[in-house]
Amino acid sequence: MAVRKNITNWGNYPKTSSEITHLHDANAPDLKLSHDKKVIARGNGRCYGDASLGESVISTLELSNFIEFDAKSKTITCEAGVLLSDLLEFLVPKGFFIPVTPGTKFITVGGAIAADVHGKNHHKDGCFSSFVESFMLFVGPGEIIQCSPTENDQLFYRTFGAMGLTGVVLSATFKVIAIETSFIYQESIKASNLDEIFALFEDSAEWKYTVAWIDCLQKGKSLGRSIIMRGESASLDKLNKKQAKNPLKVHDDRIKNIPFFFPSFVLNTLSVKLFNWAYYLKQFRKKETSVVHYDQFFYPLDSIGEWNKIYGKPGFIQYQFVLPLENSKAGMRAILEEIANSGLGSFLAVLKLFGKNDSRFYNSFPIEGYTLALDFKYSKKLSGLVERMDQIVLDNGGRIYRAKDCMSRAELTNYIKAESDWFGSLQSERITMKS
Amino acid sequence: MIVLGANSDISKKFTELVLQKEDIRKVYLLSSSPDKTINFRSHLKVKYNADVEIIKLNLLDPPKIDFSSMEYSLVFCASGYMGAQQEAVITNNEDNAKITAINYSNLILVLNEIAQDMERKGEGTIIGVSSVAGERGRKSNFIYGSAKAGFTAYLSGLRNYFNKKGIHVLTVKPGFMYTKMTEDLELPKALTITPEKAAKLIYRGYIKKRNVIYIAWMWKWIMLIIKSIPEFIFKRLSL
Ligand SMILES: Cc1cc2nc3c(=O)[nH]c(=O)nc-3n(C[C@H](O)[C@H](O)[C@H](O)COP(=O)(O)OP(=O)(O)OC[C@H]3O[C@@H](n4cnc5c(N)ncnc54)[C@H](O)[C@@H]3O)c2cc1C
Ligand SMILES: NC(=O)c1ccc[n+]([C@@H]2O[C@H](COP(=O)([O-])OP(=O)(O)OC[C@H]3O[C@@H](n4cnc5c(N)ncnc54)[C@H](OP(=O)(O)O)[C@@H]3O)[C@@H](O)[C@H]2O)c1
Repeated sequence: MAVRKNITNWGNYPKTSSEITHLHDANAPDLKLSHDKKVIARGNGRCYGDASLGESVISTLELSNFIEFDAKSKTITCEAGVLLSDLLEFLVPKGFFIPVTPGTKFITVGGAIAADVHGKNHHKDGCFSSFVESFMLFVGPGEIIQCSPTENDQLFYRTFGAMGLTGVVLSATFKVIAIETSFIYQESIKASNLDEIFALFEDSAEWKYTVAWIDCLQKGKSLGRSIIMRGESASLDKLNKKQAKNPLKVHDDRIKNIPFFFPSFVLNTLSVKLFNWAYYLKQFRKKETSVVHYDQFFYPLDSIGEWNKIYGKPGFIQYQFVLPLENSKAGMRAILEEIANSGLGSFLAVLKLFGKNDSRFYNSFPIEGYTLALDFKYSKKLSGLVERMDQIVLDNGGRIYRAKDCMSRAELTNYIKAESDWFGSLQSERITMKS
Repeated sequence: MIVLGANSDISKKFTELVLQKEDIRKVYLLSSSPDKTINFRSHLKVKYNADVEIIKLNLLDPPKIDFSSMEYSLVFCASGYMGAQQEAVITNNEDNAKITAINYSNLILVLNEIAQDMERKGEGTIIGVSSVAGERGRKSNFIYGSAKAGFTAYLSGLRNYFNKKGIHVLTVKPGFMYTKMTEDLELPKALTITPEKAAKLIYRGYIKKRNVIYIAWMWKWIMLIIKSIPEFIFKRLSL
């Protein structure tokens, strides 16, 4: 028996009523499936749109056991519902770190595989898939398949980025990386327009971690005003006295929660403008260097808890696209102009240059080129802007990230090739219907 | 430590907390489904370097277990069974027999074996997870409630028996907790706690050598009110 609950992902849009079944045993998931009702795996619901929503949802959060760790070969095996935050608490004091991490540590290992998440080191290391050695996949009634590059390799490659459509990942084995300290040596450099920021990204190819915050409300000469942050895992000698006392410090697990939905009017264009302006002015010099904890570098928003609530009850969407390198600059300019003109400002806009993609993982989102991710409060006016942005992405040969998508054109999201009799989400059904 | 009902979410979280805080490394996981406990054993090994043994314990057919050779001074018992939630509890005696066996009649026989062993060793703590459901019988679940009432009385007697013998007994009375037992129920958010929180509260009670704790605290007052309703009114209520 499963209970119906109202659930929604990080964007609080859309909302669905779903039947939720919890998995308890990674070795023997007792799932009853039927052909007339598809199911979809759900981790911690940190995707933004409708990818882990559906009529019938399988929660993996109870699959939270660590199974094996070998410091020598730097490999860890754990169940699919283990959160990256739990992994960090375990790994960091031992001098290890997660090889690829998104901008929040509150996602599951299953979610990292299904979306094949990318981080600030994509240009150097690729996606999460680059580090996964094998996983166990539940593919249908009574059938669990071990997948790796040598066993069931087709299913192995297909699963990364397939957003749960190949089955339910039950456990996985992957590599971790060694660190000397849990701090990041960081340089932040201001860019006053788009050409400057592109040049800075190209200059920063040797840095392990790069990302830029971009002020989406700027127009004309200041279009693309931004700050690039580039970092390296800090060696011991880079730490100040206080940091050196606990060089492998773990993140603080206390979070300040926003306890209720803010009234929608709180986040109007003006406050966005102010936010971006303050952020920009905080740095007076052109270039700043600092040594910051990984929590601040990778997860600046995690300490605010449920910050998604500031967008109010209607929720918000995150729009993330990538454009092929050759069209990136012109396309990015066109979209930034479109956004600035729309006045539907974004609280968060993150720009990044992806490196070459590994063609074996053909369902993964990243392709070589610039990617931009930004939030829009949900409103009726939004669909018009999304249509216009979609058109520019399409004209430039780009695509949309399914982990964020909830309303884009099917041509931008149907790059995933994974069909299943058993698994389907609100998202996959929406896209198939529109295609 | 010995854990009865090892697959309970409360058992898992409490065991982890103990391994984090105490210098305990030997863990005996007693479970009716040893297969489902294997990954948790690995988890305790990987994370806490614990030495874990899984022992099969089906309370519907309890085996003889030799506790005397085990290294432990802490016993955590979360075994419990709420029963198939059907309309009238008096109609399903097959299930009722399970409820009384798992929550009370067979459980206390196993605990008596452990108690004798602890008495010989002369030290330790027994933590028993009962329920607020044992404080007053309600038409919707009074077989479970009466079994828990029996278990609460058992723990209270055991505490009395062990007084001045170096062994402490802690009775835990949860209200609502989000666990696999209740995952298909709609529980009131304000009155329901997570297994993590429950484990923390139980651990605090253990350190402070409390006799009886309600988790969370408001259940003490809720039950005080419920218990104070005169029977002639209570019998007409639908709670
Ligand atoms: C603040 C923030 C920052 C982010 N930054 C980034 C970023 O930098 N890079 C990036 O790539 N992503 C980023 N994301 C998106 C996030 O990393 C992905 O959406 C991730 O998949 C979420 O994982 P989850 O465990 O919450 O899974 P859910 O959101 O519940 O599910 C996501 C998808 O994974 C599938 N899935 C989950 N578990 C399993 C499983 N066990 N087996 C099979 N399929 C499964 C679901 O069906 C769904 O399609 C960010 C999200 C937030 C909220
Ligand atoms: N959840 C609540 O809201 C709530 C409220 C009040 C009281 N409680 C009590 O809290 C305790 C923990 O329960 P929970 O919520 O964590 O539920 P649970 O997950 O169902 O845990 C109960 C455990 O009892 C054990 N058990 C069940 N049948 C058994 C059998 N035949 N033989 C031996 N052991 C058996 C199982 O452990 P193994 O699989 O390892 O055998 C099971 O995991 C129980 O005593 C319950 O009555 C719970």
